[in-house]
Amino acid sequence: MDAVTYPEPNVIKFLNQNFIPLRVPFDTKPLATDFNVTWTPTLITLSADGKEHHRTVGFLGPEELVASLLLGLGKLFFDNEKFNEALKHLDKLLSDYAKSDSAPEAIYLRGVCRYKNTHDPKPLKEGYEKLQAEYPSSEWTKRAYPYRLL
Amino acid sequence: METKINWESKFDKALARAKEEKKSVLLDFFNPG
Repeated sequence: MDAVTYPEPNVIKFLNQNFIPLRVPFDTKPLATDFNVTWTPTLITLSADGKEHHRTVGFLGPEELVASLLLGLGKLFFDNEKFNEALKHLDKLLSDYAKSDSAPEAIYLRGVCRYKNTHDPKPLKEGYEKLQAEYPSSEWTKRAYPYRLL
Repeated sequence: METKINWESKFDKALARAKEEKKSVLLDFFNPG
């Protein structure tokens, strides 16, 4: 992360603009125990009240990191039922990082956010159809499978 | 233009800043080697 990802200008800009970046050694007590950290790097998106909303373990390159952080922000706002804010971050992920590993989960969650906003099940089915067309092997396609019937 | 990530090193301070600046926190557990 230090050699490849964190020196990247886009990563620096994105992190400083959107997050309070906090870095601690993996054996920091009681934090590492509280967050059940067993491997590095472990990257966790927290809301300002300290609640966890998204986690990754292992190296991420610059584009995958920004995509993952956008997904983390989407999940944070989703968990707080701020669906329009969540959609803003998920749409950004899918427009700028459509090929990232975070994209399938973002498509799934976008469908759920739209459903929560409207109570119209159509976005759930559309999410499944997009996943099936673009990421047929993804676990998120499998999770959305029941929505094909809507 | 900023040339480095402005890492905090204290959990409580990061949360206080997050509240004040209405931001989220990225918590990175790393291996200092």
